[in-house]
Amino acid sequence: MINREVKKSPAFMFAVTVLVLACLALVFMGSLVAAPKLLFGRSLTAISPDSFPFVILTLMALLCVLQVGMQVRGFQIESGPALGKDGWYRGTYFFAILTGYALMMVPFGFQISSTIATALLSVQMGNRNWAQIAVLSICGPSLLYLGATRLLAVSLPELNVIELAYGSLLGG
Amino acid sequence: MIEQFIEGFGLALRVDTFVMMGLGLFGGMLVGALPGFTTLMAMAILLPISFFLDPIVGIPFLLGIYKGGIFGGSIPAILVSMPGTGAAVATSIDGYKLTQKGKSRKALDMALFSSVLGDMSSDIFTMMMIFPIAYLVMQFGPPELFAVLLMSLVIIAATSGSNPMRALIMMLLGIWLSFIGTDPLGGVERFTFGLFELKSGIPLLPMLIGVFAIPEVASVVMRNEKARHLAGLMGERLTWAEFKKTLRTICRSTVIGTGIGTIPGLGQVVAAMMGYSAAKNASDHPETFGEGELEGVAAAEAANNAVNGPTMVPLLTLGIPGDNVTAILLGAFVAQGLRPGPQLFDEQGATVFAILIAMVFANLMFLAIGYLSIPFFSRLVTIKVSVLIPLVIMFAFAGAYVFRSDSVDLLMLVGFGIFGIVARAAKFDVMPMVMGFILGEPMEYAFGQTVAMANGDLAGFFLGDRQGALAVLLVIPAIGFLLWRRMRKTIAH
Repeated sequence: MINREVKKSPAFMFAVTVLVLACLALVFMGSLVAAPKLLFGRSLTAISPDSFPFVILTLMALLCVLQVGMQVRGFQIESGPALGKDGWYRGTYFFAILTGYALMMVPFGFQISSTIATALLSVQMGNRNWAQIAVLSICGPSLLYLGATRLLAVSLPELNVIELAYGSLLGG
Repeated sequence: MIEQFIEGFGLALRVDTFVMMGLGLFGGMLVGALPGFTTLMAMAILLPISFFLDPIVGIPFLLGIYKGGIFGGSIPAILVSMPGTGAAVATSIDGYKLTQKGKSRKALDMALFSSVLGDMSSDIFTMMMIFPIAYLVMQFGPPELFAVLLMSLVIIAATSGSNPMRALIMMLLGIWLSFIGTDPLGGVERFTFGLFELKSGIPLLPMLIGVFAIPEVASVVMRNEKARHLAGLMGERLTWAEFKKTLRTICRSTVIGTGIGTIPGLGQVVAAMMGYSAAKNASDHPETFGEGELEGVAAAEAANNAVNGPTMVPLLTLGIPGDNVTAILLGAFVAQGLRPGPQLFDEQGATVFAILIAMVFANLMFLAIGYLSIPFFSRLVTIKVSVLIPLVIMFAFAGAYVFRSDSVDLLMLVGFGIFGIVARAAKFDVMPMVMGFILGEPMEYAFGQTVAMANGDLAGFFLGDRQGALAVLLVIPAIGFLLWRRMRKTIAH
């Protein structure tokens, strides 16, 4: 019978998750790793593409079993950082903004998506100075965009309309 | 050789060489300081400029970017726990803790001084030892490389935190992640689940920013640290006494970095981690490492900068670039009509020495420019959290995107951020995972080549032809065990 405290500990759950993933990868290795290329019936490489993954996954599964075993036997019970429900809600909201930002960047362009994301994050962090939020969320992305694309000559996704506006403003 | 050296010394003392080297250093620091904007990217973009300059001006310009970029990466690593380059990952462990304690100035000063000292010493060493080292490195083959990579992984796992088993699990997880994509030996797909986006594997940069920076920012958000006053966090400057205390660590890390720099394929990340691990292991107070220890910053920075000079050894003598940055340098040499290889010293010995001498002088400029520009970069931490966090996230996203211009990288960034938070809550250190991820592919490649060389008889091959590599392989478990036991004992005390 596994102690409830152990079962609920993040370390236990983490180790079990990695163990399950390693076992699943080992079981489905045949379909997850393509067959080696053959030339006249002979493999082109000295080791098969699944040899090294097989060794690594087996070792990982064994270590996870040991880790879980040690936790069950009470050798290692470490609790994670004590965070209340509020903390996790804030974390969920934060990662929801990040996910939205990641999904929006290409279709909406860097300027619009960054303006929305920076404004939301600033508000989440308690900023209620609307002028500051506006300056931050409009000037920040613009300066970064111009610096990256004009000085470092790297590309960031942007809508044609905005890119044309920058071009006409800066003369190119 | 002496005549070539004297002629090279005369060639190196050109005003335009120093001006362009200074520009390269500042540019490198600036780009390195922007999280996600790598030294590699800056060098690749600015490489064409060097084509229009004399070799003695153009190549030192690129070397300036290289040196400046490696140090620049430590600035966001210390100030916002966001390593600007992979080489600064180890720096962020103690550097950011020092910033949290209000000692960011000390951390940045230490990073600068140890970087310059490590870099300068290794450059002088490179100049003196380039011929004998080239001879030694020529003896290295895949079995030796595999043994060295495996040893570095074991050392890192054994010295990472107080629980080597968790470190090993994370390291193996990292190696597994490195399998995603195309097999380096046979070119077949592995663990891609049929997704085109995973064919080229998981990119390093979104992973680095995701597991190191995002959880750090997320924890500030989750703890609602609105009232955190970042203004005035700079603290006092580094004192001579504090610097003197770390001299032994800097020397050790310089030796480690110099050794690693001569071996193609290892690079700054391994050097920084090994330097850090060695310092922690040798310390009388290893428990303070990871909690804001100046020695930790010195160890990592001296080691990663000490790699810069020796990477020129395999590059110049054998034409083998040690990493992707030196691959760009190789391009610059070839474009200038200087084809690296043993004959280069006969044909263009004076030019080669001029470049090496310019590298040494660059360190003095590095010290001056770095010292003057620290306050400029440090303004980052005086910004309020509600302003800093949105900006950090924006830089992180822009940096992750520009690496490959692929929107999937942004989702990977968020995914790794969530993973980082979960691993942190479970007390599993993400550092070994990143190391496993970086070294997984070269290790498998070296192993595959070793098996091919052995022709099916690995035992006979190692016992007969590769006793050096075999000795390293046999010593690895013992090293790991001893390091782990010693660290446990010290922590228990």
